[in-house]
Amino acid sequence: MPRRPDSATRARRLLVLLPLLTRGETHTVADLAAAVGGTAEEITGDLMTLTMCGVPPFSPFDLIDLEIDGDRVTVNMDLPAMDRALRLTGPEARALLGALDVAGHDSAAPVRRKLLAAAADDVSPEELERTLRAGAALEGVAALYSTLAAASEAHEKVRIVYLTGATGRISERVVHPWVLVDRLGTWYVVAFCEDAAEERVFRLDRIRSATPTGETFEPPSMPPHIGVTPSPGTLPVAEVVFAPGTTPPDAQAWPGAISELRADGSTLVKVPVQSVAWIARQVAAYLGAAEVTAPESVRTAVRELARHLARELA
Amino acid sequence: MADAAERLVNLALFLASRRSFVTAEECRSAGLGYPDDQDTPTFLRMFERDKDALRAAGLVIGVGRDEEVEAYRLDAAATFARPVTLGAEELATLRAVAAALAGDPGFPFGADLTLALGKIGVRPDAGTVAVSDLGLDAGAPPSPLVASLAEAVRLRKIVAFDYTNSAGEIKHHSVEPYGLFFRDGWWYLSALDRDLAEVRTYHTGRIRDLETNPARPRTPDFERPGDFDIRNEERLPFQYGQDPFDAELRFAPDVAWRAARVSHDRGSLTTLPDGSALWRVEARNATALAGWIVAQGPGIYAVGPDSLVETLRVGLARVADLHA
Repeated sequence: MPRRPDSATRARRLLVLLPLLTRGETHTVADLAAAVGGTAEEITGDLMTLTMCGVPPFSPFDLIDLEIDGDRVTVNMDLPAMDRALRLTGPEARALLGALDVAGHDSAAPVRRKLLAAAADDVSPEELERTLRAGAALEGVAALYSTLAAASEAHEKVRIVYLTGATGRISERVVHPWVLVDRLGTWYVVAFCEDAAEERVFRLDRIRSATPTGETFEPPSMPPHIGVTPSPGTLPVAEVVFAPGTTPPDAQAWPGAISELRADGSTLVKVPVQSVAWIARQVAAYLGAAEVTAPESVRTAVRELARHLARELA
Repeated sequence: MADAAERLVNLALFLASRRSFVTAEECRSAGLGYPDDQDTPTFLRMFERDKDALRAAGLVIGVGRDEEVEAYRLDAAATFARPVTLGAEELATLRAVAAALAGDPGFPFGADLTLALGKIGVRPDAGTVAVSDLGLDAGAPPSPLVASLAEAVRLRKIVAFDYTNSAGEIKHHSVEPYGLFFRDGWWYLSALDRDLAEVRTYHTGRIRDLETNPARPRTPDFERPGDFDIRNEERLPFQYGQDPFDAELRFAPDVAWRAARVSHDRGSLTTLPDGSALWRVEARNATALAGWIVAQGPGIYAVGPDSLVETLRVGLARVADLHA
């Protein structure tokens, strides 16, 4: 069972909630819960608490007058005070900038400056920039993220130019961006690809450009499958042996990988293979410290890739 | 007796509704919810905690004097924010990132993020679809630990912990935490090791039994060097090692646009007449750099130094022989 927030945490949430309660407006509890966090039950409890709050002398006219009817809340009076949003505290500014880091917006992004204008005087933007980096701000990815987020909201088709990493093929496609997915710091967009006529996953850092087409799409009737990693049960498995002393990739780097330390100090890694080109490149990158033992098709792909790269080098 | 949260909101409303300074005793007698039968020392301790809680929520409470007694007043200009005006794409970005991160246990600042967005009036939109998995798999980043480290960084408090190094040895470290960065599913702490007197990078997944110096919690324990910048600590995989050298990599014209992305603002990029991009970057591990070149995909070539090219050539020959 989730732990009930302490009083200070609840009070903090209540003080964020207060300015949202404008006289004459009706809100749903779900909307307010989304706005300040917490479950609908917790927010209903918070609202009940607020009806007991006010200013001296605490006559009925001095208490916050809310009408709570099921999941609807109507505000019947102007608040006696605290009717404006509070400035951001240091931890809140840190959370916002961290989130924007994750979305690829670096220190030069205008949105960061706008948000920090709402921060308390003792919050140092420079110190935050110098002490926290919650994500890599890759060149151009922030703009892609914003374009795709807006297109996803508006159900607008987007034309993308995409590099398939393992093969180097560059293609132009029209996609329906369904959902943005961050896995371990790398953003993907799960989309319906009109050219492939099926759902595909695209890494944002391999999208060269994204341009809304102006056409809209029907969102999927069922929630899309949002996984960006292969389903181990449905894919062939490659077996890769890593030499003693070599740190093998974990399940984060090689999704679905299972490792087994062997008596001679080597490590056997079994990994589901969605793309032979991908696993060949991954193994070749170990420069001889890793060997595919099965299947033969992957061994061949690794050998051919190594020879091809060696010829390029020459 | 009033619920403590109710008392705190009452105190906030009381301070915000008064223009003049008010004393603790006036707050006590205003019916805000302080127990009637409380002795004065206990009340004053509770009142101090309440002011701290309100300050943590964002209220700036000024301290002055009412005759000879300490008194308090809300600094409205410092407490309340001006409205923030955001563009449509900025709002969409924030809604998407909020939807993705607020519920991701791998993001250590989810609760603060939700309240921050609540303050600036950005509500996660049910129509925005974005999700995040910053480390839900086995060995996930321990968010409470990272949150504690982030607070120690912010407040400049010394921390101590047991750390398991890559050789499996466990040692106790006392450090001055300077900053945190996230890469490939893990948070890393950059800190001055007080015994070694050098700045080290610690994998937070290897930290156990973290303790923040409890002494004088409102007073920083150390000064962070003025030139410290976490962006300089977050190195590329081939930039760890003892012997630095300058490497040159070429990106073929059709993937030259990738150079700016994969370089992470490291080194310098030059566009060549044929449209390819030349990246000059400091490296410290030729084998790691050669492997990185192969892993990054087609169209990236080692130009120099010769030792790098040779490392790559020998490594690729070994791969081909091993799979013959």
